[in-house]
Amino acid sequence: MRDVEARPKRYEWLILLALLLASLPLLVGFSLLMLSSFSTEMVTNLDPGSFHFTLENWINLFQGKIATTGGIRVNIWRITLNTLIVALGVAGVVTLTSTMAGYSLSRIDFKGRKTMMVLLLVLHAFPGVALIVGVYLLYRLTFPESTGFVGLYSFLYVILARAALEIPMSIWLMKGFFDTVPWEFEWSGIIDGASRITVWRKIMLPLIKPGILSVALFAFLAGWQDIIYVRTFLIYQTLATFIEANIEAEYSHMPLIAAAGTFYLLPTIIFFLTAQKLLLQGYSGGIKG
Amino acid sequence: MRGKVRDLSFFLSPMIIMVFLFYLIPLVMTVYISMTRMRNWNVDRYLTEFVGLYNYDRLFYMFQHDPTFKAVVLTTLVFVGITLMINVFGGLALALATFFINEKSASSYRLLWLLPRMSPIAVYSLVWYYFFHGSEIGTLNSVLMHLGLISEPIPWGQVIPWGAWSIIIFVNGLVGVSFGMIVFTSALNQIPRELVVAARVDGASSWQISRRILIPMIKWHLLYVLTWQFLSLLTTYPHLFLLVQWDLVNRDYGTTLALYVFNTAFGRGEQDQGLAAAAAVILSIIGIIGGFVTLKVLKFERMMRRPRGDF
Repeated sequence: MRDVEARPKRYEWLILLALLLASLPLLVGFSLLMLSSFSTEMVTNLDPGSFHFTLENWINLFQGKIATTGGIRVNIWRITLNTLIVALGVAGVVTLTSTMAGYSLSRIDFKGRKTMMVLLLVLHAFPGVALIVGVYLLYRLTFPESTGFVGLYSFLYVILARAALEIPMSIWLMKGFFDTVPWEFEWSGIIDGASRITVWRKIMLPLIKPGILSVALFAFLAGWQDIIYVRTFLIYQTLATFIEANIEAEYSHMPLIAAAGTFYLLPTIIFFLTAQKLLLQGYSGGIKG
Repeated sequence: MRGKVRDLSFFLSPMIIMVFLFYLIPLVMTVYISMTRMRNWNVDRYLTEFVGLYNYDRLFYMFQHDPTFKAVVLTTLVFVGITLMINVFGGLALALATFFINEKSASSYRLLWLLPRMSPIAVYSLVWYYFFHGSEIGTLNSVLMHLGLISEPIPWGQVIPWGAWSIIIFVNGLVGVSFGMIVFTSALNQIPRELVVAARVDGASSWQISRRILIPMIKWHLLYVLTWQFLSLLTTYPHLFLLVQWDLVNRDYGTTLALYVFNTAFGRGEQDQGLAAAAAVILSIIGIIGGFVTLKVLKFERMMRRPRGDF
């Protein structure tokens, strides 16, 4: 029941119209990008005459032909894999760290708990992206001398550094989810002699599966969408750095870049359409005490 | 007792390691670099040469005399101030609007407005690169030319200062609105339904319900979004980075202090990490002080109740 019976229908269409008008730039901007990826020319000028349907942009993208002339080639699948590795790595690290810390902050009373929670809030309020100079110096000082490990190390470092940005908020989210579980579940396990770790792993985690999925989804998207950290720390190219470089290139064919952008946007759209409850739940969970 | 310590060390170790490695150590390192002449990441040469507050003196001098740096500071103030208002009141407007319509439409609009935050930064920047492009392929130029308001394309991002400022405020405003929208929506949904229905039966309009019941009851959340977004906007730059990099917006009037730090440390040409680190330290001090003030004002301690039933 949600203000249904008493609300007059009279003004709902007016609110809907206002929402539509406010949303128009978003709808137009993203739609034109996607349309341009199927056209021989950009349609961002809103000229119907500019649209000539073709699949050539997508074919060229998947075949690695990123220039209309010359022999420049890229392996878009390797670039996509690099992006996916970073995103999955960030999701894994964030989910593991936040489920462990979130549980203890929710269920275990200990000296320093409040201080730790205040620290997390301050770190959440103050994005670590401002400390990237220091993060990079640490990277330089710990860089492996053996050339064989350079690539692996850059992947490991970018995943951990990017995951660190998500950890304060994710821990708060996870604590909020653990807070919703009735204490009786906890007590029944402990009374039976189970250790805390067993209770966490076998009782609590299954109960907050939606919360875990929510945090994992957010962390994945954070890793997938990043450009600053992959550009600074990763020695390989990702979809983000590929797009960045090609907008500036003289030979670039804009509709093909639009195809790359639409391709890069696909996971967002997929989650957008399939994980609506998780997204809304995750965002609103962060401010619960 | 020993069992609890073992449990805590298991559960908290990953978090402590991550915070130590990527917040505390970088903070110390950033402070240290700010007291060196580090440039072009020449670690061997500059890391051992301590120069005290030299870089802070340089920043102060630039603030007084360098038009580029003045533009950066001014851009930061305008950007944070205006975008903050858009985030808070835009989020409030969206939350109230979706509160008064049917749930199906409301959910659709909420999801749509999450799109800026969910999109890859490069794609999001690409969308507005084309929208505000300075040539005839720019959507804004095309609309205005079709309406006869302008006769030739205008590179809006190079119109300083308000052309560049408008674009960066618009682009980041859309990203931040979703945060307020979600927080306020969650808060509105916790207001007892009876209050709204009773007012409705008494003949109150949606506007009156908003002004007298809904908004007063979410005052805390308004303050929360205001303070949180202020701190976030102060240090955010990923969504600005490509707009400047691609020359969509003017470099000086499209760069905030946070982006200035990044570009000075990692940008093209000569890189000056000492100066970048000094600016980052100043930002960090503002951010950390702001963080603690925020927690005090928002009375977050009340939310940190001890776990009941722990034994």
